Amino acid sequence: MSSYEIDGALWSRVRNAIAFLLLIGVAASVAGAVTEPERFYRSYLVGFLHPTSILLGALFFVMVMHITGSVWSITVRRFHENLIGALPLVAVALVPVVLGIHHLYEWSHAEEVAHDTLLRGKAAWLNPQGFTIRAFIYVAIWSFFALRLVHHSTAQDSTRSIDNTRSLKKYAAPGLFLGFISVSLASFDWVMSLAPHWYSTMFGVYFYAGGGWASFATLVLICLAFRSAGMLRREINVEHYHDLGKWMFALTVFWTYIAFCQYLLIWYANLPEETIWFRNRFVGGWAPMSVALLFGHFFIPFLVLLPRASKRNLKLLRAAALWFLAMHYLDLYWMVMPTFYKDGPSFHWLDLAPLVAVGSLYALGFWMRLKKHAIMAVGDLRLEQALEHHNL
Amino acid sequence: MADLAIKPPLAELNPPLVEGNHSYSTVTHTVSGIVERKTPKQWFIAISISGAITLMMLGMIGYLFLNGVGVWGNNSPVGWAWDITNFVFWIGIGHAGTLISAILFLFRQKWRTSINRAAEAMTLFAVACALLFPLIHVGRPWRAYWMFPIPNTDLNMWQNFRSPLLWDVFAVSTYGTVSALFWYVGLLPDLATLRDRARTRIRQLVYGVLSLGWRGSARAWRHYEMAYLILAGLSTPLVLSVHTIVSFDFAVSIIPGWHTTIFPPYFVAGAIFSGFAMVVTLMVIFRYAFQLEDLVTIKHLENMNIVMLATGSIVGYAYATELFIAWYSGNMYEKFAFLNRTTGPYWWAYWTMVSCNVISPQFFWFKKLRRNIPFMFVISIFVNIGMWFERFVIIVTSLHRDFLPSSWGYFRPTFVDVCTFIGTLGFFTTLFLLFVRFLPMIAISEVKGVMPAPGASERGQH
Repeated sequence: MSSYEIDGALWSRVRNAIAFLLLIGVAASVAGAVTEPERFYRSYLVGFLHPTSILLGALFFVMVMHITGSVWSITVRRFHENLIGALPLVAVALVPVVLGIHHLYEWSHAEEVAHDTLLRGKAAWLNPQGFTIRAFIYVAIWSFFALRLVHHSTAQDSTRSIDNTRSLKKYAAPGLFLGFISVSLASFDWVMSLAPHWYSTMFGVYFYAGGGWASFATLVLICLAFRSAGMLRREINVEHYHDLGKWMFALTVFWTYIAFCQYLLIWYANLPEETIWFRNRFVGGWAPMSVALLFGHFFIPFLVLLPRASKRNLKLLRAAALWFLAMHYLDLYWMVMPTFYKDGPSFHWLDLAPLVAVGSLYALGFWMRLKKHAIMAVGDLRLEQALEHHNL
Repeated sequence: MADLAIKPPLAELNPPLVEGNHSYSTVTHTVSGIVERKTPKQWFIAISISGAITLMMLGMIGYLFLNGVGVWGNNSPVGWAWDITNFVFWIGIGHAGTLISAILFLFRQKWRTSINRAAEAMTLFAVACALLFPLIHVGRPWRAYWMFPIPNTDLNMWQNFRSPLLWDVFAVSTYGTVSALFWYVGLLPDLATLRDRARTRIRQLVYGVLSLGWRGSARAWRHYEMAYLILAGLSTPLVLSVHTIVSFDFAVSIIPGWHTTIFPPYFVAGAIFSGFAMVVTLMVIFRYAFQLEDLVTIKHLENMNIVMLATGSIVGYAYATELFIAWYSGNMYEKFAFLNRTTGPYWWAYWTMVSCNVISPQFFWFKKLRRNIPFMFVISIFVNIGMWFERFVIIVTSLHRDFLPSSWGYFRPTFVDVCTFIGTLGFFTTLFLLFVRFLPMIAISEVKGVMPAPGASERGQH
């Protein structure tokens, strides 16, 4: 089906635009790293986590869709697959985090650890070598499953064989399991250990819930962008957007559920070593941001997406998805930055540079894959069922 | 569509949900027949046994009321033991019914149709068994209404709204009410079917009243579908909230081993896990007893086993996270609680739990095993045992060695503890046996909805 290939001229134009953004982002980041290394590495961590968590969310849902034999999502699946195809690039994006380890993590300083009993006890896990090795192992796990899933799905474009569907299921099941464990551990390493005395067993789920939420928002934006360029208008129609909207709604509630439970349990038990994490986020300029998250990450998305009509309104869906991406950034900023800036958020131009750099790096990975294969999973045997999909 | 559906590869991707040579009328006949046939002898034998066990439970409860909670093994420092273990165990079982009927409905998992009715009935009976335990644990059950925030003159105090035990009262009663409504609304068309097929006046009357005058008009169906969707939407958060609040009973405290933030989703996953194990146990028995192999196919059982594999692995993830964070926290009490749990006097309970809940479902990675009926039956029993032990481990091992070694103890159940729990198994079985005898255990109208329409293959569309 050659009609599902992207127009060459358009493809090159967008590629150039992304490459240009990447150049600007990298140049600005390098400038920041030289002039203000401390601030750069802190901002970089948030700028790295935002797009990375979106790729990881996409990985989770591609595998869920394969396992459950989901039909409606077949027409949007290739976009998700091109996103997870960018996961090997996380290894590149990770380098500044490793380089900046001493700017970011208290436990990376041997002299700090020496006079801190608790940190001494954790040194077997929290040490620079272990951190670095583990980080690349996580990326290897994600990349392995992502590339296998992409391989079998794109191969099916020409083979149209059920064997590919079987293989996809075969990789998705252990992938989900190992993926969830590795993402949890990554969230412990990269985010939770910023406050190395603090701990919460829920943290991995909390981190992943936000990433999953943002990955659906990203998917909606990608689909709508192609729609406005006149592509896949029939294949991804309002019924599919309705389902994407339902997923965004469901994940809004799920994120809130996890966030609320984590907060309530810590508030109620009132143990100082646990409450300090929230206390740091309830003082100074961080207090309004906590409230903003409550409204912006829960109440507003919840009320906006609740009616059936709004999930079928594409303009509204686009605005909601953009809003969600911003809120996800705020959520990550709120997790990371209070460790460094106790009085309140201090936004800086350097917050933007790494986000643009890493975001456009992944976007370029996404875009390069788009040219190689059809932009829709044309070989899936249930494609016709997916095209006929409709909600009750 | 229809010509696609008969291509061999697509048959694998869209397996038929009703096997054999069934038409609409044979489905009606098969399911209604269970209720209409002469009561089989085996049913009488089964209900005599389960009824006797229920009587034993009532005897134990009577003995408890006469003598007080001291007849149980509960004693300082283990103030909660089998009673709360059994409560959480039964509440958890119920969750599969709601998940199948509500969440799988919203996710358009059509295979739910053959099992949702029985699973929902199981939910109601499990909730009934669960509610019994807090009720008898209060010691003076005739004062149980004090738990509700109603004006009272003999108490002169107001309920403690900050207590998760009070939240439990609301959560479980809401859950019971919505589940009952959902189940009953789903039953209406099938009750009308039984009414229309009834041959005796008394059956006509009873099923006629129960079916609320259902005529099956297009308008009635439209309202029915909408009500069903809304009830599914309302039930979905309940699946999460009920066991979340049950987990709060423990997690809001500061007892090491109880206070951990992952408890809510971990309890929910565990509840679904145990519930699916119970559904598999029951369906394996009853599909054999009533020859329902065409309606509850091997594919249905396989899917349930996959859900058990997934939720069992989530539970395993939670166990591992708890152990890791207990070490990572550097908190000596946390570390001790988990060291004591895994290697202390109750090590056998902990490792029973891990073997049954984490290891045994891993066999379902193999397609052969998850389609093997005797094997899945054994595993489902293991999971039931393991999930009971999980609650026992959480409750008892965290309590029996607290901060002061001088107050450490070891809990041993008394015969009243044991007989009451076994009694609830009999009570649950009795209710389920009554259900399969008098109500259609498979949703007739819903199963027809997932069958190909008559003549679809000839016309080439549906």
